[in-house]
Amino acid sequence: MPEGTLCNRQPIDTEEALKTLLGDTGGKTYYGEMKSLDVDTDLLWTTIQNTLKSRMKTWLEICAHCGMCADSCFLYLINNRDPKQVPAYKIQSTLGELVKRQGKVDNDFMHMAMETAWAKCTCCNRCGMYCPHGIDMGIMFGYLRGLLYQQGFVPWELKIGAGMHRVYRAQMDVTDEDFVETFEWMVEEYEEDYPGLEVPVDVEGADIMYTVNAREVKHYPEDLAEAAILFHLAGESWTVPSQGWEQTSLAMFAGDWAACKMQVESVYAAMERLQPKRMVGTECGHAHRATVIEGPYWAGRSTGQPPVESIHYVEWLAEALREGKLKIDPAKRIKRPVTLQDSCNYVRNHGLKEITREIMSYIVEPGFFRDMAPNREHNYCCGGGGGFNGIGVFRAQRNQALITKRDQILNTGAGLVIAPCHNCWDAIRDLEEEYKIGIEWSFLKPLVISMVEIPEHLQLKE
Amino acid sequence: MFKKILFATSATEASDHAARVAFNMARNYKAHLSIFHVLGVPTRGFSQVVLDVKTKQEVVLDDEYVAWVEEEVKTHYAKQLETADDYDIKVAIGFPHREILREARQHKPDLIVLGGTTGDPEDSVYKKGMVGSTLQRVAKAAPCPTLVVNRPAASFWGGMSNIVFGADFSKASDKAFDFTVKLAKAQGCEVHIFHALDISAMHMGRMLTQDEIESGIRKSLRRIRGRYVAKIKDDIKDYGFDVWEGVPYVEIVKYAREKHADLIVMAHHTSRTSDEDNRLGSNIEQVIVRAGCPVISVNK
Repeated sequence: MPEGTLCNRQPIDTEEALKTLLGDTGGKTYYGEMKSLDVDTDLLWTTIQNTLKSRMKTWLEICAHCGMCADSCFLYLINNRDPKQVPAYKIQSTLGELVKRQGKVDNDFMHMAMETAWAKCTCCNRCGMYCPHGIDMGIMFGYLRGLLYQQGFVPWELKIGAGMHRVYRAQMDVTDEDFVETFEWMVEEYEEDYPGLEVPVDVEGADIMYTVNAREVKHYPEDLAEAAILFHLAGESWTVPSQGWEQTSLAMFAGDWAACKMQVESVYAAMERLQPKRMVGTECGHAHRATVIEGPYWAGRSTGQPPVESIHYVEWLAEALREGKLKIDPAKRIKRPVTLQDSCNYVRNHGLKEITREIMSYIVEPGFFRDMAPNREHNYCCGGGGGFNGIGVFRAQRNQALITKRDQILNTGAGLVIAPCHNCWDAIRDLEEEYKIGIEWSFLKPLVISMVEIPEHLQLKE
Repeated sequence: MFKKILFATSATEASDHAARVAFNMARNYKAHLSIFHVLGVPTRGFSQVVLDVKTKQEVVLDDEYVAWVEEEVKTHYAKQLETADDYDIKVAIGFPHREILREARQHKPDLIVLGGTTGDPEDSVYKKGMVGSTLQRVAKAAPCPTLVVNRPAASFWGGMSNIVFGADFSKASDKAFDFTVKLAKAQGCEVHIFHALDISAMHMGRMLTQDEIESGIRKSLRRIRGRYVAKIKDDIKDYGFDVWEGVPYVEIVKYAREKHADLIVMAHHTSRTSDEDNRLGSNIEQVIVRAGCPVISVNK
């Protein structure tokens, strides 16, 4: 069969197609069709010729097969040091082969490549730090995913996720109206506790434009309220765009390059429209990577930067605490062993390692913070990065992958894990569900709200 | 007074007592009853997987599964539904408190009815990643009064004739009082205004002298007269008021028992739950757990 009705090379561009694919429970028909999906080898080779640039060509060529990357990969360590889990092997046997064979590969090969790209690599980029040549397998896997997506060999949930971005410009079926309505609802719910609380929508020239993760809107809108409360208490001039509010990109996990561009351009358009001084994104790692680090290149911006200065939530929070816009009540600081998850996407890949520790110094009573080992840019992936968390067919592999983080946390002796990243937060929640080690996990916002001093003029008067 | 009742149910035994009250009320007041069940809590990131609240199993969602759960809810309430004529059943996915509030915001019921605790909180999928119980969160933010039935004893309910209003002189408490008056007028109920002088926690462990207690009681009585009695003395025939000293929730439950109350109305404090020391609003929660009649929490 050349192409299936559900599993094919066509991206999901309509609500109807999205619903049809969603209706295929667990992707049963989808994966069934994938077994006989033809590979368009001409398209594949043309695409490789057009997009495989000198950096990756060089990387593939100069790999000395020294094996230094092996121990850097948590998936290798956690899978009994299986040689097939060595990063260099994983990329050479997939992307390397594709190039060598000039795209002439079959369905079995593509299945193997799909499993390798989504279940044997979380694009955490740790191997790149240990390779003597600086070869970054994570980057190459990101590229490989694009080739696989184009051919229709992509996990069901990610085909849907990329489709969501195409249809809604959000990773879930949340419309612009839903977003504004939900934000307003949350403010209504909390304004009695915080007099004067509001959500300024589409205000031009604000100091901050805030962008979020659609899951906050869909499932835990308290997060939106918490963001509003902290901006309010800090006295910030801020706004949310009624369009272009979604910072995340499942399209990036899926390898849907065109959708990556569409999504990030919607956020940049909001920046251009509202001209804020800065954009602040929510506590999400891959959203930061997509919108702040990689996005400018997808959108073809010659500066390599978003239209306005864009920072991660932890940068804003550290600044607000440092400058005294938010003041912590010392009596309410965390007084029990607590650890911190370094998100690969903004710590290893964007250097924010000391910022989060600065926040710890304000909110944790001295002596109670326990770093994981290794940490900072050497920290391991939570185990669910790069889309791994959400892919049903690779659940068993993902659960196995959580063991690294589980043991890192256990070794700190901390009962609370602060995870300022949606993906890490999910993975840590799931590892508690799976392995029951008796930990709690939290974003920063609720913790800070529980200990922040309310300025006199904003206090509740009764 | 009650035209639309939203009955949020776990569709397990934990909600059976509340179900009895919800169906009775709908029948007596000819109200539309919306039976609302949150079937699963989202899990696994952006995936379509939810944790089924009853089986605690991971389920991949589709229309068929949702229809099946709807059918299950119907079966669970088959007997009550035989005599109910104006109702609908709806199932949703998400964190229960949020979905109940979403539903309430959309359909604006006059009353939300909730069941008691669903058991071991450690084990409950309702708790995933969220602080505070469904009840706490719904009661805090609900746009309408929330009626909770926890003990089986609280559900043998013959209608509303005798209300105990637990007063604490807060703004939220004023709202709860307004609701009590409205209800009492509509139903011709007796109203007992009650305040418990807290002698347990307020004084840093210092023993109060009897003179201090009695002066506190006198002061509270004055406040009740000024703040509440003045508002109802012309409209409601049967009313009384008392102030007792003790542990508030124990005293309220005792008082309600003595007065043969069939309903307790209290405010759920608007105080931010972010302080998350569970003392906040804990009086009403303790009353709910212990009361021999339904408890209505009013906030707005």
